[in-house]
Amino acid sequence: MFNRFSLPDLGVGIGLRTVHFGEILAKKPPIDWFEVLSENFLDTGGRPLYVLDQVAERYPVALHGVSMSIGSTDPIDFAYLGKLKELARRTRAHWISDHLCWTGVMGRNTHDLLPMPYTEEALRHTAGRVRQVQDFLERPLALENPSSYVEFAASSISEWEFLARLAEDADCALLLDVNNVYVSSFNHGFDPAVYIDAIPADRVVQFHVAGHTNKGTHIIDTHSDHAIPEVWELYRRAWARTGPTATLYEWDEDIPELSVVHAEALLARGHREPQRATGTHGA
Amino acid sequence: MALEVGLDRLQRWMQAVIVHPGLVEDALAAAADEVPAQRLGEVILPSRTLTPAERLDVYHGMYLLRMEEALASDYPALKHFLGDEGFFDLVRDYVQVHPSRSFSLNPLGYRLPEFVKTASGLERPDFCYELAQLELAVAQAFDGPETARLGEAAIAAVPPEAWEAARLAPVATFRLLSFRYPVNDYLQTVLDDDHDHPKARLKDQWIAVYRRDYVVYRLDLTRAAHDLLAALVSGRPLGNAIGEALKTGGKRAPSEHELFRWFRQWVSVGVFQSVETR
Repeated sequence: MFNRFSLPDLGVGIGLRTVHFGEILAKKPPIDWFEVLSENFLDTGGRPLYVLDQVAERYPVALHGVSMSIGSTDPIDFAYLGKLKELARRTRAHWISDHLCWTGVMGRNTHDLLPMPYTEEALRHTAGRVRQVQDFLERPLALENPSSYVEFAASSISEWEFLARLAEDADCALLLDVNNVYVSSFNHGFDPAVYIDAIPADRVVQFHVAGHTNKGTHIIDTHSDHAIPEVWELYRRAWARTGPTATLYEWDEDIPELSVVHAEALLARGHREPQRATGTHGA
Repeated sequence: MALEVGLDRLQRWMQAVIVHPGLVEDALAAAADEVPAQRLGEVILPSRTLTPAERLDVYHGMYLLRMEEALASDYPALKHFLGDEGFFDLVRDYVQVHPSRSFSLNPLGYRLPEFVKTASGLERPDFCYELAQLELAVAQAFDGPETARLGEAAIAAVPPEAWEAARLAPVATFRLLSFRYPVNDYLQTVLDDDHDHPKARLKDQWIAVYRRDYVVYRLDLTRAAHDLLAALVSGRPLGNAIGEALKTGGKRAPSEHELFRWFRQWVSVGVFQSVETR
């Protein structure tokens, strides 16, 4: 099965991070594709944008944002969206993604991915905003399931049902982060397999896999380590439902050498159905 | 049972708690207008291992750490001078007054130098202010637009008689700064991980900050060179600016040899982007 948006399986990619800029430009490693943290390139005319232009010339890229604040009750920031749209054009990005969350209200940005209450009110509110954003961007938006550390007493819908209904109501795509599913399942005590099985597979255009930090009482989504076997098992389960889908390994803290991050990402290939494994782009 | 809280009120309340500079208990008390602290359990559920307040504290605790990390990347020398605790306290106070209002963390520190100037309880605020000014100039040069630099062909195309009225435009990332303290030396020792830091004692420094080929540079200047560059980048014709430098420089007035050396250096390192002869 392929996604209903006909967005391509780009293979196994990694996030474009500053510490790897030099090696990527110099060695042009055989990495399938790069995910680009949009906000790092929207307001700069410096080296990051120069590097991104070089990378986008050679590799497929997708934009991944952290400041759309799609669930916020503040007005939509169309100036931000305008810059995002231009960056997507400039890099020929295959898609644009952000998170099911809010990042601030009253004009402030906490720069955190804050959780939504899963209520009918929040669902109507968010779906309306996703439709507006997609109309403006003139392309489907992929929304990522968040990691969260609180649950709201007012929530009347499970997170997976909320995501499924939101995707249907707004006709948007999904970025399924299997590490986030695991983190939230630990923090909130639900069965992650139930979550994976409830996600509309034909709307998933990308996977995230990552490591986390287990504090004992709760797990923090730090992207600072190798993924644990349970997370890979969720990836395997999800991939069996979606079929060939672009996969991205996230490593954002204590970032090791490029070869280490890439090797971790390539583990994804072993969890895909062999007959559906894709080739390498880029180099 | 859940407390009836609409989405807008819930978000206002949660943000107020998260960005509060004190303990989470103090934050909950301060945000009681939106949600009474004793009714927290009707808004946030406990987990198997954490109370509602402890769960909220995960977000609350990470907020200032994230702000500190962002500002420390732009102000490494200021952080070094103040120490980890002193810098964290400064960040805590600063973001209460100047929180992020952008999709990006890049502009978060734009008002830090002005804030430092009047911050209470800060060790050597005058030194800190100048150090912050320099680090802000470097950060802004890093993100500024790339402009082509003046090349030999453009210089050769200017007829000799046109130079007196010519105006030189600096590259977009160019900043000219003057200090009463050796903050450029201090920054360099921090970047070099050299522990022989200069004291925060009066010592004039004149610095040009600019970017060439996506790398930010800091150029040490004499006062006379600084003043001449200031006149040039303000748009004064070359002949007029040099004449002023010779007339008002007194003992510091540059010799012809020095002038030639400065211009050769400024052009070669990429300070200027164009020369206008009209």
